Amino acid sequence: MNAKLIKDTLIIAALKSVPDFKRQPLMLMFLGLISAMPLYFILVFGGQISSGLVGAMVSTASLIGIMAAIQDITWDRYVKIREMIVAMPVHPASYAVGVALAPFWLSAPGLVFFLAISLWLGVLPLSSIGWIVVSLIVCWAALSSIGFVISTYLQKASVYTLNSISNILGIGLVFLPPVYYPEEQLGQFSWIALLFPTSNASSLIRAYSGLLQLSSEMIVARWLILLAVTGISILVVSLKAKWREA
Amino acid sequence: MEAVKSVGLVKVYHSKETVEALKGVSLSIRKGELFTLLGPNGAGKTTFLRIISTQLMPTKGDAIVLGYDVLTQPNEVRKHIAVVPQDVATYGNFTPWEYSYYFSLLRGMSKREAKEAAERSLRAVELWELRNRTCATLSGGEKRRAIIASALSSNADVLMLDEPTSGLDAVARRNVWAVLRGMVEQGKTILLTTHIMEEAEMVSDRLAIVNRGEVAAEGTLDDIKGLAREKFRVVVEGDLRDLGLSQNNNRVLKFGNKKIVYVKNEDEALELVGKALKNGLKAETAPITLEDVFVKLVGGEEN
Repeated sequence: MNAKLIKDTLIIAALKSVPDFKRQPLMLMFLGLISAMPLYFILVFGGQISSGLVGAMVSTASLIGIMAAIQDITWDRYVKIREMIVAMPVHPASYAVGVALAPFWLSAPGLVFFLAISLWLGVLPLSSIGWIVVSLIVCWAALSSIGFVISTYLQKASVYTLNSISNILGIGLVFLPPVYYPEEQLGQFSWIALLFPTSNASSLIRAYSGLLQLSSEMIVARWLILLAVTGISILVVSLKAKWREA
Repeated sequence: MEAVKSVGLVKVYHSKETVEALKGVSLSIRKGELFTLLGPNGAGKTTFLRIISTQLMPTKGDAIVLGYDVLTQPNEVRKHIAVVPQDVATYGNFTPWEYSYYFSLLRGMSKREAKEAAERSLRAVELWELRNRTCATLSGGEKRRAIIASALSSNADVLMLDEPTSGLDAVARRNVWAVLRGMVEQGKTILLTTHIMEEAEMVSDRLAIVNRGEVAAEGTLDDIKGLAREKFRVVVEGDLRDLGLSQNNNRVLKFGNKKIVYVKNEDEALELVGKALKNGLKAETAPITLEDVFVKLVGGEEN
């Protein structure tokens, strides 16, 4: 892959995250707290803390994925930083991945925190950490690409409308499907978990950690669903989005 | 040699209604000059600049920047230009330093080169002392200069600035003018759009007046002023009836009790001032301004 493409991606990610890291440390805490909140209810009202911790990790990667992809692109258009970058020798893929990567970096402390707690409590085995990280990355990629589809198709919507849409979607994809709770709790409706990238990622992590029994076919199916959502979204964006306006 | 050349640029927007923003604009901008596109709101200035800067495809026509085709070689064009969009805003938690430094890195500079370029451009716009303040704490003029600095740090050969001083106070505006002229002295080519007459008069080497998607006039300031039949204006306060003005020969603009009378030459102007003073009216004369020619060319005058 072109070295400049990768370098530009990292520069854009740094541009979009370093100022926040330096000056908005409370935002990092806020991002972590949103994902940690359901854990409080699980502890108080009962539930599986292991599933809750898995949910917190998936939530951190997912919320930041979909919200940032929509909100960052929208605000970049609003402040016209995007227009300046379009007129630079920067590939659109560098811009898109950089914009998505920046919030992922911002969410990294939260992810590490939840992962460390899970390992410390013995909820997740150290041997499955590789699969957990890969599942989280693919989940973030899927949600980010869905976010790009929305910001591409709703270009003329106001910043405030798109912010609301991203918040609603984030909550809808993270807190409603079986992400914080085991899909078995849905009984005969447990197939619902297959419909959402977030619940697929959650189930995969639980399966790799021995918290959920899934056949190898079901594991492959879930990976395929996650990758298909990501692939189709990227394809749609690359066909529809115009770096130079027509 | 030409830095920018457009031939018959047409842009038609299709939304609820069809709008022809550019109707065959042909312009040529020489290397090392500051060229201003002057026009009222909605004249097509921004559309022209966005096409030239590879952000927008034209409906028809050709454009070349430094020998590269804007339509077919956008990546080559982008290596040589920097853009400051209209009504550009800043992220509140970014500093002027971060804007210039990261944008320089995106231009392919090394970290050391980017640091040097950022320092050079921030000093040029007199923001070096404020380089580490967040944009949220800067004034409107300082924010605008931070963005201009990020464009300057690119070391691009052609700078394209879309109404960069819009909304700035007089002092901030003059600071930006000084920076732009400094860039031209360093050999840069600048394409500027504005609707501020004084700005066009003060900074331009050459300019074009654009109206309703068409070039109404193009040339140096003297060329443009030379298009007017009348070379002098007389401002009179009071009743013009006793001054013997001919309705056919003299163009008069009325603003309440104040009138601007356009005359062909200085002799006519002095004669009219003399008559007015004799009649106890206040009067003064001066050569016509760019604004006088602009108003005549784009219409909308109260006669």
